[in-house]
Amino acid sequence: MIAVALRNLRHRPGGFVATFLSALLGAALIMAFASLIDTASGADAASNESLVTTASVGGGWCLVIVAFAVTSTLTLAVRQREQQITLLRSVGATGPQVRRMIVGEALAVALLAAAVAVPVGWLLGRVLVNLLHNTGQVASTVDPAFGPIALGAGFGVTLLGSLVAAFATARRTGNQGRQRQRPLLRRIGAGLFLLIGANCAVLTATLMDGKGIDAMQTAGQAGIWASIGLALLAPELLRLVTAVLGPVVRLFGAPGGLALRGPRLSSAVMPVLLFTGIATGTVYMQGIEDRAAAGQVEPDYAQDIQTLNYVVVGMITVFVAIMLVNTLIAATTHRRREFAQHRLAGATRGQVTAMVALEGVLITVTGVLGGLVASLFTVLPFGSARADRLWPDASPAAFALVAAIAVVLTASALIQTTRRTLHGPATAAVRA
Amino acid sequence: MTDVVRLESLYKTYDGGVTALDGVTASFPAGSFTAVMGPSGSGKSTLLQCAAGLDRPTGGRVFIDGTELTATKDTAMTKFRRTRVSFVFQDYNLLPSLTVEQNVVLPLRLAGRRADRHRVRETLDRLGLGDRLGELPERLSGGQRQRVAIARALVADPAVIFADEPTGALDLRSAREVLALLRSLQRTIIMVTHDPVAASYADSVLFLADGRLAGSLRAPTADAVAERLAHLGDRVGVAA
Repeated sequence: MIAVALRNLRHRPGGFVATFLSALLGAALIMAFASLIDTASGADAASNESLVTTASVGGGWCLVIVAFAVTSTLTLAVRQREQQITLLRSVGATGPQVRRMIVGEALAVALLAAAVAVPVGWLLGRVLVNLLHNTGQVASTVDPAFGPIALGAGFGVTLLGSLVAAFATARRTGNQGRQRQRPLLRRIGAGLFLLIGANCAVLTATLMDGKGIDAMQTAGQAGIWASIGLALLAPELLRLVTAVLGPVVRLFGAPGGLALRGPRLSSAVMPVLLFTGIATGTVYMQGIEDRAAAGQVEPDYAQDIQTLNYVVVGMITVFVAIMLVNTLIAATTHRRREFAQHRLAGATRGQVTAMVALEGVLITVTGVLGGLVASLFTVLPFGSARADRLWPDASPAAFALVAAIAVVLTASALIQTTRRTLHGPATAAVRA
Repeated sequence: MTDVVRLESLYKTYDGGVTALDGVTASFPAGSFTAVMGPSGSGKSTLLQCAAGLDRPTGGRVFIDGTELTATKDTAMTKFRRTRVSFVFQDYNLLPSLTVEQNVVLPLRLAGRRADRHRVRETLDRLGLGDRLGELPERLSGGQRQRVAIARALVADPAVIFADEPTGALDLRSAREVLALLRSLQRTIIMVTHDPVAASYADSVLFLADGRLAGSLRAPTADAVAERLAHLGDRVGVAA
């Protein structure tokens, strides 16, 4: 089956692009941050501490995102090939054989991605050390290093993450038939993450009050946990938004009615929500900090943290873009048959596109509103701790920008893939 | 003019040089139930798709309900079909997320026409689905799903119903019921099938071989159809 796995990769590399890209980016970032620890081993005490802190903060972020992105892209890459897997089963492949194939593919992609990531990670690591030199946090005599820890962490995390994701995916494909979603488990998880988020928020507002920039640690986490928690509740949130916006969507005639009744794309809400939540939270947190620090004596690492915060937002944007586009492409391609059925029932291409566009509106509204709520877990307690005011004294322009990015990403991915899926005659698509 | 569908020397050649239709001329009178038969590759599915405005022939003309199908753009073809043509497919093509009733009114809603609720209910009642209005297709048997598809075809009140192997996925009993139902509708129906028993429910059978007409049969029986099919190869061009 490993042979089949490798043939699959060579035959249809396009199916693995998203998995490869997210694994590559993840591996490169983890290597970059881990190389700081390599660098720290030969440095003085002060530099050492600063390097290790940066590495653990940045690396921690990466871990969460990589796990999420690799899992989601891999799941979709496999689910898209249900047909091939059914075919393999029908010619005599056993469940474990199919599972071996999926795991083999995932490992090959991860290995390749990690290998390609080495030069990228090396370069990024140097950039990070340079940054720390400039802010004076690390003595300029400390030379950037790229050693066993960088390589070990990069390869280890990428391979292990892909392996776990592949096993989870393979198990779900193994037991054929209806894929039973487990809403209870998901909801419990969501509740747990929201509780952790709330806990971090409370800690920020109480324990960290008056601790200055250090409050960022707990405030930032509060927003991330809340974003993940709300993202897990995406199906419920989407249903709520659909119910509220229903009357408006229905004004668009038949496509509107269909958009409300179609299969719900809650998987696409997740990346939008994560992006909006984490980006909004981080940007406004930094904004509050900048205003509060004006005229104060700030610790010398404040500027580092500012840079790091923006780097994190940028990273998340890239990851989420990959995840979102991948999710939407997979979900839309999967609906080729459904679209063809609509057309055979008398829908024009325009009507099908209108239906998808309206679904996209529901997805984006849900994701952006959910993300806004999640970001408040960061913004409100940090504002209270740092500036003694809950509601930040900031313009909504930054949030508008974040929301606009979410809208553009969703819209362009959806419309493009729908166009492509609608290409060609409906009779051919319905048989496919 | 009582011909609901008229085909004038239809040709269809696919990229790569395969000729699926090689000059087919045929007409289908109002209220007639016609089966189109032939071995695989004889062009019967292509004939149905060209006649129904799902695909463009390479040459020749198609008239439906007295109007020539001249549209070439997908949207224009869809709009042409909407008002004149309905379909019943082998695999039903019901939308899984819509209920029985929603599936039935879908073509009307897409065309921006008002669905006469009373009429929809009445049609579904007549097809024995009156108590399944709110059900999703996955909860229905194959025969029931095909009857939903037939109801969907009827509610749009088309000039002609095209059926592509409508019993291909059904067990014997459901297949018989669906065929008897189609015959009882007294509408213009053109049905593609490879099953002689299914064809025997039609008023007449049209045989196709290698993209050409290969005769026809009135008031067919399953045995006569099977016999003709078996010898289609050596009797190409011989009329009944």
